[in-house]
Amino acid sequence: MASMGQPPSLKRRDAPPVSREGDQLTITPLGAGNEVGRSCVYMSYKGKTILFDCGIHPAYSGMAALPYFDEIDPSIIDVLLITHFHLDHAASLPYFLEKTTFKGRVFMTHATKAIYKLLLTDYVKVSKVSVEDMLFDEQDINRSMDKIEVLDFHQTVEVNGIKFWCYTAGHVLGAAMFMVDIAGVRVLYTGDYSREEDRHLRAAELPQFSPDICIIESTYGVQLHQSRHIREKRFTDVIHTTISQGGRVLIPAFALGRAQELLLILDEYWSNHPELHNIPIYYASPLAKKCMAVYQTYILSMNERIRNQFANSNPFKFKHISPLNSIEDFSDVGPSVVMASPSGLQSGLSRQLFDIWCSDKKNACVIPGYVVVGTLAKTIISEPKEVTLMNGLTAPLNMQVHYISFSAHADYAQTSTFLRELMPPNIILVHGESHEMGRLKTKLMTEFADCNTKIITPKNCQSVEMYFNSEKMAKTIGRLAEKTPEVGETVSGILVKKGFTYQIMAPDDLHIFSQLSTANITQRITIPYSGAFGVIKYRLEQIYESVESSTDEESAVPTLRVHDRVTLKQDSEKHISMHWTSDPINDMVSDSIVALVLNISREMPKVVVESEAMKSEEESRKKMEKVIHALLVSLFGDVKLGENGKLVIRVDGNVAHLDKQSGDVESKNEGLKERVRLAYQRIQSAVKPIPLSAA
Amino acid sequence: MGTSVQVTPLCGVFNENPLSYLVSIDGFNFLIDCGWNDHFDPSLLQPLSKVASTIDAVLLSHSDTLHLGALPYAVKQFGLNAPVFSTEPVNRLGLLTMYDQFLSRRQVSDFELFTLDDIDSAFQNVTRLTYSQNYHLSGKGEGIVIAPHMAGHLLGGTVWKITKDGEDVIYAVDYNRRKEKHLNGTVLESFVRPAVLITDAYNALNNQPPRQQREIFQDTISKTLKAGGNVLLPVDTAGRVLELILILEDYWAEHSLNYPIYFLTYVASSTIDYVKSFLEWMGDAIAKSFETSRDNAFLLNHITLLINKSELDNAPDGPKVVLASMASLEAGFSHDIFVEWASDVKNLVLFTERGQFGTLARLLQADPPPKAVKVTMSTRVPLVGEELIAYEEEQNRLKKEEALKASLIKEEESKASHGPDNDLNDPMIVDTNNAHAPLDVVDPHGGGFRDIFIDGFVPPSTSVAPMFPFYDNTSEWDDFGEVINPDDYVIKDEDMDQAAMNVSVHLEICDFSLANFTLHLVGNSVHRDAFCMYRELSSFGGNVDGKLDEAAASLILDTKPSKVVSNELTVQVKCLLIYMDYEGRADGRSIKTILAHVAPLKLVLVHGSAEATEHLKQHCLKHVCPHVFTPQIEETIDVTSDLCAYKVQLSEKLMSNVLCKKLGDYEIAWVDAEVGKTESDMLSLLPISTPAPPHKSVLVGDLKMADFKPFLSSKGIQVEFAGGGALRCGEYITIRKVGQAGQKGGGSGPQQIVIEGPLCEDYYKIRDYLYSQFYLL
Repeated sequence: MASMGQPPSLKRRDAPPVSREGDQLTITPLGAGNEVGRSCVYMSYKGKTILFDCGIHPAYSGMAALPYFDEIDPSIIDVLLITHFHLDHAASLPYFLEKTTFKGRVFMTHATKAIYKLLLTDYVKVSKVSVEDMLFDEQDINRSMDKIEVLDFHQTVEVNGIKFWCYTAGHVLGAAMFMVDIAGVRVLYTGDYSREEDRHLRAAELPQFSPDICIIESTYGVQLHQSRHIREKRFTDVIHTTISQGGRVLIPAFALGRAQELLLILDEYWSNHPELHNIPIYYASPLAKKCMAVYQTYILSMNERIRNQFANSNPFKFKHISPLNSIEDFSDVGPSVVMASPSGLQSGLSRQLFDIWCSDKKNACVIPGYVVVGTLAKTIISEPKEVTLMNGLTAPLNMQVHYISFSAHADYAQTSTFLRELMPPNIILVHGESHEMGRLKTKLMTEFADCNTKIITPKNCQSVEMYFNSEKMAKTIGRLAEKTPEVGETVSGILVKKGFTYQIMAPDDLHIFSQLSTANITQRITIPYSGAFGVIKYRLEQIYESVESSTDEESAVPTLRVHDRVTLKQDSEKHISMHWTSDPINDMVSDSIVALVLNISREMPKVVVESEAMKSEEESRKKMEKVIHALLVSLFGDVKLGENGKLVIRVDGNVAHLDKQSGDVESKNEGLKERVRLAYQRIQSAVKPIPLSAA
Repeated sequence: MGTSVQVTPLCGVFNENPLSYLVSIDGFNFLIDCGWNDHFDPSLLQPLSKVASTIDAVLLSHSDTLHLGALPYAVKQFGLNAPVFSTEPVNRLGLLTMYDQFLSRRQVSDFELFTLDDIDSAFQNVTRLTYSQNYHLSGKGEGIVIAPHMAGHLLGGTVWKITKDGEDVIYAVDYNRRKEKHLNGTVLESFVRPAVLITDAYNALNNQPPRQQREIFQDTISKTLKAGGNVLLPVDTAGRVLELILILEDYWAEHSLNYPIYFLTYVASSTIDYVKSFLEWMGDAIAKSFETSRDNAFLLNHITLLINKSELDNAPDGPKVVLASMASLEAGFSHDIFVEWASDVKNLVLFTERGQFGTLARLLQADPPPKAVKVTMSTRVPLVGEELIAYEEEQNRLKKEEALKASLIKEEESKASHGPDNDLNDPMIVDTNNAHAPLDVVDPHGGGFRDIFIDGFVPPSTSVAPMFPFYDNTSEWDDFGEVINPDDYVIKDEDMDQAAMNVSVHLEICDFSLANFTLHLVGNSVHRDAFCMYRELSSFGGNVDGKLDEAAASLILDTKPSKVVSNELTVQVKCLLIYMDYEGRADGRSIKTILAHVAPLKLVLVHGSAEATEHLKQHCLKHVCPHVFTPQIEETIDVTSDLCAYKVQLSEKLMSNVLCKKLGDYEIAWVDAEVGKTESDMLSLLPISTPAPPHKSVLVGDLKMADFKPFLSSKGIQVEFAGGGALRCGEYITIRKVGQAGQKGGGSGPQQIVIEGPLCEDYYKIRDYLYSQFYLL
């Protein structure tokens, strides 16, 4: 089913190209293709377009940090789904909503929306770039808030026939994995996810249904995490050892998400170790302080453990941790533990403290999560001898650097188990450094070798195209379905399509099974006419086969009924009235009657020759042949009269013989044969009189 | 044929009794709602008891007693063990409502229909769903999808949609169309043409006064307060009271009033704590205010939460507002306060909902209100003197007997089983147990040393001479070590009981925390009610999921032996009694509008007085659909749709030749097709090989005169409404609709439109415009 530019399967070759285009599913990473950062994945299928995530790249600034939005037309996107509040997944949203032609709908979870605003407002304040480089300002964020709609986990939402819902993803508070269903084809976008339950978050759920395509993160590639308890122990041990030796511990961490988990660990550790109570823990983030209200509210999005604790006291009211607003408020006397942002040590408080503490070997720096390439934090993991300080000077790096990953991304074990449970036929890897991703792909390939799974690692802007042979199923209901038809019988009715569901029903049932209604329009016009009513009748009889005359029961005026369709009444001496129910044939009949009546009143009565009728039959046949010939010429060009009255049609060296009587066509070229046959059939039905039996 | 659907009311038809209905879909039995009234009359549950064992799933729609009150009783007494589904708030608030009911009852009577434990076990295994979550049932219910949708009225209130094979059965009772302070209106209107709609007629005869009423409500309250009177609002535990709280909060803030407001139920603070974390379930305004400024609407500034009446009695004198449960005045704090306040003309009792039938509240809502009412004042008093001694002796005797019996049984067991099951009695294992649960402050001897406390010791009947119990440790080993039975490590309730009996430390904790609800903890501004204390206790007991265990629960009430003392008294009702409708239910008018809009193929009416049911039935027969059912209790009606349907595959070839026209959400086209078979033996539609037979043309569309008029005038045609809804276009031409105008749904056929006029150019022009409003197929 999946391919990257491969020819579609043989079965589809005969399908008309129009429908093939509709069945093509395109997935294009606009960001996070073979990289980490600026997540943004574009997907389109059956004319519906979805964008997953809208992040920025933390290592770049200004326009360069954006995903490749210029590859797509934002105005055609129906739905934009944001998985979680991290900058690399949500931070270009204000730009996309306010500065592009996007006019679709945006969805995220409640918790994500609440934190999104705080986080981006902070981001705008903190990022010290020139005004031209500013992608958006605070007002853009506030305006974007009105456009963002919220959804709850598992809640199914339908927009323009696109159905989607989300599952818990672990990772951070409010993080979601989106399952999108377009016409029965399901795509799962995991965003960042973790299958391991921690202190406050639930593990990512395993969706009920297997998706056709799984777009999955590959941040940790083939690495394996240590178990949570070992990591926690290493973390607390490093801190305990350092402070007992009189050192300071710096934990550069992003303000939200994992930081809350680390604080829960520290708070609990301190509670259990009274000897540490005189060592202060600082948490240097006013932003996190603000977000605490969100953490204290959306308890329902967290795991059972927290929910049970919540019944007693709010676990997010820390007992041993105090906030720290800036480095000026910090008195650096003796051992302490400071958690500060940013996590990459690019600038800000974490960098200021790093610069002060890096040359003392008693101190320690614990890097608690994934660090993006190009940041200082990434550099010091490889423990260089020297580092460059913010003021440009170099200093020896003596402090101990520990890398203990708490970042809630899936590792290889989780990824492969997850995929094995889901068994998606197509896997698209995003959100991973290119070589990590490559190794993951290779390893997954071997693991899934026996199950015909396609694993694709597109680069940014590189489209993945797949074809889905979606069967369109319709439900025939109501009167039309009273009897299930046998093969060969015909079914005629109204096909009603809503979203991607089809129903076939009789016109009379339309108002029962849909909100649509049908109407009958009765028309009544009066025509001035002062002649005798009998003349009209006579004329009508000449044209129409069935003209019945009677008298109206109520008003006792003479009436004429033409083919049971149009009724003429002589309302008064000067007027006749005509009424009928609208439909194309009736309208035509009535028009002809109007013309006829008007003609009668304009002309004097004439003597009509009866015998003409006989002769005209021969004439009309000849006339008809002429018309047919002319029409065929206009269609095919070279049309000649051949032997035994057959027409010979030549098109591009192909020859077709058409028998005018039977409509049979002979030709070596199947395509031409079919075209000529169809054309002749249509010409004939156009030239011949309309059958009146229609009712 | 369609999916088979049967409805059997078990309670709550042709009256205002609690709701409980059995809906069977293709043989899968749903019990929708499981209500009881404030009298807890077991005879109401008679029909339920007969079918309880056949039920496959229970769906709960609201968190009040009328919708879920009988659940604990049914689970305990009738063996109702089907999975239960509800939204998170219904589960949580329903639990609190039942706690409050139980505690209110227990305080004034020897209420023994169910215990706190029964409530817990009933609510523990509820599967919680979110709105619009499509939950696919498995097993017997394969193919059935259930989804809760917002109903309004109460937080988490649910309209249930049950779908099978594309046919919807919708259960919607007590919904509210209006948007309120804390809730959005129902989404019921977004469903159209379901196969079956089950709804209530409760409010069919009531019409709500316009919105100005709200001001009157607050004015009445503030007037009474200014005159030095007290205001009592009898409320439910965790339902409509939330809306009232917000109304009062806002009004107090707006007018900077200083009169105290108290919210008094046994679970008041837990209620508000939970409600604070339910923002996802509330209305847009609340969500928005939290998202932008992190203002949680339920961080209350003016309302004090109380969990026992002595706190209220200790409050400073002066006018105050008290919201107290129960709304029926039958029990709970509201009952006591009413008795105290009723005789003072300055006071006001303001009812915000219609009292349940036959309750004191209903009695007082009569017009004119009674001058005096008889009430029973009951209090639970601790036993003293001889009674206490007698009680204790009795208890001791019972305990001894039980202990003896238990030890005998234990002996028997230990004798009988020489297998690994005996591990429980191995002190070593108990130690590991203890290490596993460091929080377990309940004495570690909980399970292990039980036998040491036996009074005397009983020789095993098989032994020839008395001997100390000896246990042969014959545990089995396999590759992974000792084979264990996980159940042995679960601390059982009875063990807890034993622990409580034997360990004085534990008793002290309980005594301290549970002294008949008089405990008032105010610590770091977090106000906790006694319930949370039990929770803490029970979680100490290793019971991590917050469930109350039996020991703690019974201790709460029985630490001090007590009895109920009742006396009848007559209360002179001199205070002002007012009833204002704050039920937050759709009123008669909007019920009719919604029903006409939803236009179900079949309609089942339940829950409402006989008159209201009959009234709504007649209305619906005329205006909504021809199939309206009003079943009696235990009468099974078959609402299987007589809909015929079959599935076909639409072939690519056919679809590539079909041009769809877009009409709102729909796309329509006429198809003529020939039936064929696919490889998988499905019927499929192929393009027709012979010329299609002509068909009668169909005009599809909905002409609204009011919309058509501006359209015509925009085209430069003079247009105005003439008499009788006719539209006069230009000078001579008129367009009008004939037939029953304004009727929607199953009863109506196609629209009949008449256009008439003399032969002129305008006629054809206007006809063209008229045609443009339709699609011709």
